[in-house]
Amino acid sequence: MPYRKMRAAVAVAGATALVAALAACGGGDESSGSGKTINVLIGANTQYPAEQQAWQESIAQRFKSQTGAEVKWETFATANDELTKIQTSVVSGSGPDVYAVGTTFTPTAYSTKAFVTLGDEEWKKIGGKDKFIPSSLGISGPDEQNQVGIPWVGRPFVMVYNTELLTAAGIDKPATTWDELTQHAKRLTKGDQHGLAVAYKDNFDPWKFIWGMSIQAGNPLVDGKTARIQDPAVQKAYETYFGWLATDRVVNPAAVGWSNSQAIGEFAKGKTGYMALTSALAAKALDAGAVKGKWKFALLPTVPPGATTRPANGVEAASILSGDNLLVADYSKNKDLAFQFVKLITDQDAQLDLYQRLGQLPANAAAAQTLLSDPKLEVVVQAQQKSVSTPFTGAWADIQLALTNAVVQSIPDLSKGPISPEQIDSRLATAQKAAQSALDRVK
Amino acid sequence: MTASAEAQRLLPRPLLITLTVLLCAMVLAPILYIVLASLNTDVGVAGGEFWPSTFSGESYTQIWTTADLSTGIVNSLVVCALTAVASALLGTTTAYVLVRYAFFGRLTILRGLVGLQSIPGTLMLLPVFVLFSSAGNYLGLTVIGTRWGLFVAYLTFALPFSTWVMVTYLRGMPRELEEAARTEGASTLVILWRIVFPLSLPAIVVSGIFAFLLGWNDVLFASVLTRPETQTAAVALQIFGSTQEGGALPVYSQMMAASLICAAPVVLLYLAFQRYLVGGLTAGGVK
Amino acid sequence: MGVNSTLTPEVRTAKPTPQRRRRGVTERQRPLWLLTPGGVLMVLVILIPLVLALWISAIDLDQYTLRRWIEAPFIGLDNYVESVGSGLLHSVWISVSFAVLATVATVPIGIAAALVTQNPYRGRAIVRAVFLIPYVLPSFVVATVWRTMLQPDGIVNATLAKAGVDGGLWLSGPKSYWTLVLVEIWAAWPFIYLMALAALQSVDIEVHEASAVDGVTWWSKLRRVILPYLRGPVLLACLLATLNHINNFTLPFVLFGAPAPDDVNVMPMLVYVTSFQSLRFGLSAAMAVVSLILIAIPLFAYLRAVRLDVHEEGARR
Repeated sequence: MPYRKMRAAVAVAGATALVAALAACGGGDESSGSGKTINVLIGANTQYPAEQQAWQESIAQRFKSQTGAEVKWETFATANDELTKIQTSVVSGSGPDVYAVGTTFTPTAYSTKAFVTLGDEEWKKIGGKDKFIPSSLGISGPDEQNQVGIPWVGRPFVMVYNTELLTAAGIDKPATTWDELTQHAKRLTKGDQHGLAVAYKDNFDPWKFIWGMSIQAGNPLVDGKTARIQDPAVQKAYETYFGWLATDRVVNPAAVGWSNSQAIGEFAKGKTGYMALTSALAAKALDAGAVKGKWKFALLPTVPPGATTRPANGVEAASILSGDNLLVADYSKNKDLAFQFVKLITDQDAQLDLYQRLGQLPANAAAAQTLLSDPKLEVVVQAQQKSVSTPFTGAWADIQLALTNAVVQSIPDLSKGPISPEQIDSRLATAQKAAQSALDRVK
Repeated sequence: MTASAEAQRLLPRPLLITLTVLLCAMVLAPILYIVLASLNTDVGVAGGEFWPSTFSGESYTQIWTTADLSTGIVNSLVVCALTAVASALLGTTTAYVLVRYAFFGRLTILRGLVGLQSIPGTLMLLPVFVLFSSAGNYLGLTVIGTRWGLFVAYLTFALPFSTWVMVTYLRGMPRELEEAARTEGASTLVILWRIVFPLSLPAIVVSGIFAFLLGWNDVLFASVLTRPETQTAAVALQIFGSTQEGGALPVYSQMMAASLICAAPVVLLYLAFQRYLVGGLTAGGVK
Repeated sequence: MGVNSTLTPEVRTAKPTPQRRRRGVTERQRPLWLLTPGGVLMVLVILIPLVLALWISAIDLDQYTLRRWIEAPFIGLDNYVESVGSGLLHSVWISVSFAVLATVATVPIGIAAALVTQNPYRGRAIVRAVFLIPYVLPSFVVATVWRTMLQPDGIVNATLAKAGVDGGLWLSGPKSYWTLVLVEIWAAWPFIYLMALAALQSVDIEVHEASAVDGVTWWSKLRRVILPYLRGPVLLACLLATLNHINNFTLPFVLFGAPAPDDVNVMPMLVYVTSFQSLRFGLSAAMAVVSLILIAIPLFAYLRAVRLDVHEEGARR
């Protein structure tokens, strides 16, 4: 449908027609790209700004030589910025053609139905599903037939530990169960030294611990359309999480005020045994601190608290499935070009190039294969393989919020002493209610 | 000191000195923290250091590549300066009519102008975006991502306030000069331009400053109404503060350096304009 | 509003300027067309979006209906009913009380700052520039700095500990409310300062000279002669400052993060989280409208009471 005609139709028929026209327009765009521009939204990388810029330029050049079309980059600063951008674009039916969306936001983006569902034809355009690491497709859609997210980069969560302090305490290898982690942390805590750094006041960290411990105990928190938050496994997870600070006393009491970056800053001073939740991106910050040369990544424990082996229905989740997916906007007038672009940046050489420039782990299987030989990356690649996706529901954003809120509201009490099981239970009741009502609204 | 200056003295000297020192200390203590943090390393700031263990001016050179700060500052200056001038002039004009002429609905407008200030920005964000983007869809006008789109938004948000500042000022202004000019046959526009504007310069500067700062500090609207090439300094600055999901450290040190750099042009502008803040009414010679 | 009582007294008799009660506003040859540019802008960019927002508050708009938002089901007042039941009133109360406290505290600071920079002295330009700094720093920088300083192990608590005081938690629990008030005061007082400074310029030289001749003390000159000049502008500044405090989103958001502790779950935080994290636009619009109404009612009652009308007053001086 020619663009001019569409515009005329729209001007007459008003807003309802606009949406319909945009939807109708979807099928018939031309594939020759000269004179066209596609807009791509990605997160700003403040750790490697110059490198990111260089990468953007080189990709834009390659894309131009392949298709003749220009790439215009837009960046967002925070996850909240990104959500705002998605929402305003969806509402107005205009904005970026390709979005790089964090994995946990993919269900939310999917629920807007504003992104192209990937059929056989679309997968073919980007080089087939097989080119990706199978586990990385875990949060692309609710099921095989309804995928919107194309895996781009992986960012699995790991622990980092201080090799010197662990050796000094006679610990020869990092903990593999949560109980063991607590034991190690106790041995490591003495004087001005603490066993564990945890960011209790982070906006995103707390729920990742709770979800991890719960799913390892067999409770994925969401069961179809039912929330399972007021549950013994979740209760135990919160008890363990709060216990580090209040009963085990292995965490600096100041941690009730920390965000994730402050916990890393604390660990980087070299007086902390473990920092419990971080990613490969922290390497640069760690090397800038007093721990330079004395730190190593390790997998997060995969055996739930209070157990020595994982129960039969427990899942070996070393991390949430974390990273970025690429989504093509449904309103895009250049879908073919958008898919060509997606193909370009998910191909093996481009993915390796991105890793070398910015340290972003590839989602491309062949590219990841070549990195396996790198001993530095071994743990991180393992964590990526053992990543498990969080429940794929439009309600997840609310559930995440409810889980974090239970921690936020407990902090004043936590700073005074242990949180009683009854207190936790009442927080969980609130969270359960919020989560269930979000699930009830799923359409 | 002349006798007149002595007569104008408002506070006894000891009190004046005490108050000045107290107020400066109150402002400068956190500023000192910002300066020190800008000279520290990111890890140091994240770890809660007040006095840097190692001093480094690196942040001040790095920020120009980390975020596109120079583009941001230029965009902010252009958009905010235009907003300041336009809203001050438009506000004065509107206020003049509201102060000098009686008409039906005048009171409602006056109260409405204050009422408009109570609308939360979070409520307006989505509708304003829808409106601006439909201007693109229906009229073929590109508004989103342009500087003038942002300018129109800021101008409108600044206007109620600018108007009110001018209303409070103009109502205290003697009308003899205007009346004299009018009997000589001057039109309203001439009176505005030749008499009202010059006489109310201090208030115009104040309302201009506020309009400027409104745009300068806004992140909410700028983050959705701009594109990278029209990004404002506040948006560029916010990139430094982003805590990424996944353990990367925000570049605190650069953020502090960047905010000092961004504050500099505003402070300089203020210093340049502050002489206009002195004695507008009395300088007019209506005696 | 607490500030009102201290600023209201009619002390205008002290003014030496003769009261010229002449022709007030006129009804002849009104150049009303001059109102059109501003009027058009406000209708386009404020009123139309406001109507749109009102409509959004009456439909079931969330992430599932966002894309075809024109077709989103109309649910009448359901959003309003839900918003009242979900802690909105608590948030409005926190917002309003916090805003009034902050305004009350900034007025004396702002006026004092204006007074000390009114008479010229060497270095005054620098002092004036210093006073402006809190206002030109972006909100999220101010919030980040204070957040860092108010950490449990931050510089503030370290300093207090040296004085033998346990600072405790500033960013969680009941004290977070006072943190919000204090930081807002720090960041917002230059607004009052600038308004008061501008108002001081309108004091006639004759007034000073007359007081000097009368030989009154600085305090009674200040109280009886100077402050009355500030009354109008500062009153307006108070009003607008209060509204700005109520609508300040960035400061609490960066200081406390989202979800916020219950003690500082101010109205904009609630609206923002509902809108941009829970993605319930209809509900959040309803919340914003309810709070808008709750704020607008006392606001308009107040505007009536203080006669912001300039009709008579304008002719009075």
